[in-house]
Amino acid sequence: MLAAGDVEMVLFTIQIALLGTALNLVPGTAAALFLARYRGPGKEAIETVLSLPLVLPPTAVGILLLRALARRGLLGTLLGDLGIEIVFTWKAVLLATMVMSFPLLVRSARTAFEEVDPRLVGIARTLGCGPARAFFRVTLPLAWRGILAGSVLAFSRALGEFGATVMVAGNIPGRTQTLPLAIFHYDQIGRDDRALALVGVTVVLAFVALWSAELVSRRRSGRTAA
Amino acid sequence: MIAFAVELRLARFDLRAEARLEGGVTAIMGPSGSGKTSLLEVLAGLRRGARGRVAIGGEVVLDTERGVRLPPERRRVGYVPQDAALLPHLTALRNVRFGARGDRARVDSAIETLELAPLLERYPLSLSGGEKQRVALARALASDPRLLLLDEPLAALDVALRERILPYLLRIRDEWRVPALYVTHNVGEAVALADRVLLLRDGAVEALGAPLDLLAMPVLAEAAAAGIENLLQGRVSSHDEAGGVTRVVLDGGAEVAIPLARERLVGTPVVLAVRAEDVLVTTGAIAGLSARNVLPARVLSLERTGPDVTLRCATDGGTPPWLVRLTPAAVAALGLRPGATVSLAVKSHSVRVV
Amino acid sequence: MRGMNAGIRAIALGLTLLLPGRAVAEEVVILAATSLTDALREIGEGYEATSGNHLTFNFGASNDLARQIRAGAPADVFFSADLAQMEGLEREGLVRRADRLDVLSNLLSAIVPVGSTLDIRGPRDLLEVKYLALASPEAVPAGVYAKRYLESIGLWDDIKAKVVPTLDVRATLAAVEAGHADAGIVYRTDAALSKRVRTAFDVPRGQGPPIVYPLAPIATSKRGEAAAAVVRYLVGPEALAVYQRFGFLVILGR
Repeated sequence: MLAAGDVEMVLFTIQIALLGTALNLVPGTAAALFLARYRGPGKEAIETVLSLPLVLPPTAVGILLLRALARRGLLGTLLGDLGIEIVFTWKAVLLATMVMSFPLLVRSARTAFEEVDPRLVGIARTLGCGPARAFFRVTLPLAWRGILAGSVLAFSRALGEFGATVMVAGNIPGRTQTLPLAIFHYDQIGRDDRALALVGVTVVLAFVALWSAELVSRRRSGRTAA
Repeated sequence: MIAFAVELRLARFDLRAEARLEGGVTAIMGPSGSGKTSLLEVLAGLRRGARGRVAIGGEVVLDTERGVRLPPERRRVGYVPQDAALLPHLTALRNVRFGARGDRARVDSAIETLELAPLLERYPLSLSGGEKQRVALARALASDPRLLLLDEPLAALDVALRERILPYLLRIRDEWRVPALYVTHNVGEAVALADRVLLLRDGAVEALGAPLDLLAMPVLAEAAAAGIENLLQGRVSSHDEAGGVTRVVLDGGAEVAIPLARERLVGTPVVLAVRAEDVLVTTGAIAGLSARNVLPARVLSLERTGPDVTLRCATDGGTPPWLVRLTPAAVAALGLRPGATVSLAVKSHSVRVV
Repeated sequence: MRGMNAGIRAIALGLTLLLPGRAVAEEVVILAATSLTDALREIGEGYEATSGNHLTFNFGASNDLARQIRAGAPADVFFSADLAQMEGLEREGLVRRADRLDVLSNLLSAIVPVGSTLDIRGPRDLLEVKYLALASPEAVPAGVYAKRYLESIGLWDDIKAKVVPTLDVRATLAAVEAGHADAGIVYRTDAALSKRVRTAFDVPRGQGPPIVYPLAPIATSKRGEAAAAVVRYLVGPEALAVYQRFGFLVILGR
């Protein structure tokens, strides 16, 4: 049902999505915490910038990344001097995926943090926890479900990322072609049968991702208050 | 010993409170919204905008002028908020242990004082209000605090439950001896637990003194009136063993009989409480009535309170007016109007020593 | 009363304008390969001026256009950059073989960014580049031709790892212009149009694969007459002069 190279391509897509989500986890959680707690000047500006990949068309984000990273671009020249090439390699796929899925993680995690009753954190403080310990012993345990939901969302978005990826990584079979790019590619060359087979794979992957997240989330929800 | 002089900008006014309190339990009372909770939060270190000076047990934890501001985790203050604020993802046991820093003995002691043994493996979601409060109290105690801050810990509980938790609070006061600030609306609790009452109104300390001295203050009388209890002060005058009653002479001069209470020595001051619905009203002369307490009175006013009518009646002797709760049918049957002369009858069993 | 009559008359008049009729100008939709963009736009202006019909062009990679036609896009004329796409439609009855005209040919050129320091004079030099941009070699005509050329000189296997596939030949041009790719292979007609690239070498006539641009009206078009008229114009003397000016080779009638 799947062509020879397609299995590798699917695995590649999953690996990139997993890696991207994992790498986004700490900065995303930190950004979410910051947005949930910080009340000073400039907050809206930061919020807006972090939300841009969510709101801009993916191709727009792709072009911006391309301009920054290409040989003559802002970062491109710097990276070139260091011998690091990103455009048209798997690193570009990873970067595009991470940029596009980051805001989804931040959004869900932020909501989760905001739902943690700040009085509980206050109580923990009076019981001897510094801000960091209070975060790990109270905030995080109460918010992890939202963070998980955000990760699943980000992972799914990463699996399906197309616009930015095709711009900055190209649709190079065997090198940077991911599942959504391959579906497009097969359709372009008239192989709808292959395209539909890959669509089936996408559905299965999305299903597995959502289902396992649901399982993990439900297993622990019996004891604590929602 | 705690001393504070603090300022905090609040929504409707500024909190500007100052006091020196030697150990023991201080009840903090006052109308709703007068800043009581905010004061506790300032002392606990949970309010960033607070300015001024706070010293707990001799250590300065806040001194804006000298740039001293200890974070909450270094103040060793045990805070018990109104709704217990138990950590929902931990069992009762782990909640209690949370701030104990490994001191098993202390934890076990707190568990014993609050009788939590059967609850330890349960999660807060499955605990009743009273159980949650007990866990919260144990948790605060287990963290070895220098000061306890209790924010209306019994307010969310019904009357019966309050009665059951009160002894725990007394036990904490007497056995653990941690200085405490106890916010409450309930005069009975204040009288039972506190060594002194601090009255807060619109963010400022209005008065500080012995509980009974402050009972006469309008604010507290309002609080009492808003409840359902009549509070009477007096002194024990005699015990009647054969009759099974103890007689108390009220400050106004009237005499009230309560069930025999030998442990109350003659001459000691006592506060009595009578529920408004336990008072009977009669317009005629009384003969052959079992109630031992019959007081002549005059109706001052009638007010519709929900399905009932609440009467305010003045008795001789200048005590605060009695509150009596009757059904509209009773009021109509007796033709009660302001100015009417009546007698109030109360069984001795309906008189409670607070 | 009088106002109402006038209103009704106005509405009736307006409605007649919506009715199809001889008096109303026709709109003809032409799907054409991207390499024909500049030439066809010019030719189209001429046609609209003389015939009064309105032309709508949809330029893209020929394989993508064929896909659209298969999917039922409203199109009247197809001008493809290779025979494979046209023949595919013929097999499905979307184009009649008898109506098809093989009009143009083209040549391939290898390009580099205008400021490039790479010294590329022949195909073997392409092995020096990091990225070689080609229109997707699996389906887009320009890329298919380029791959066939590289295969014919035995270079494909060594160079295919460097290939960055793009959506169509103009995208290849853009990639080289921007410097994202060190070199690319496009039609000679495209290379001539851009000042941001220079030609590294041309693929001589006999060495590259035969390139054919077939033109045909689409059988399922609802404007058959108008489509046929447009096709006739597109192979008429004025049009042929324009193609030649842009560098296309006219093969019609051979």
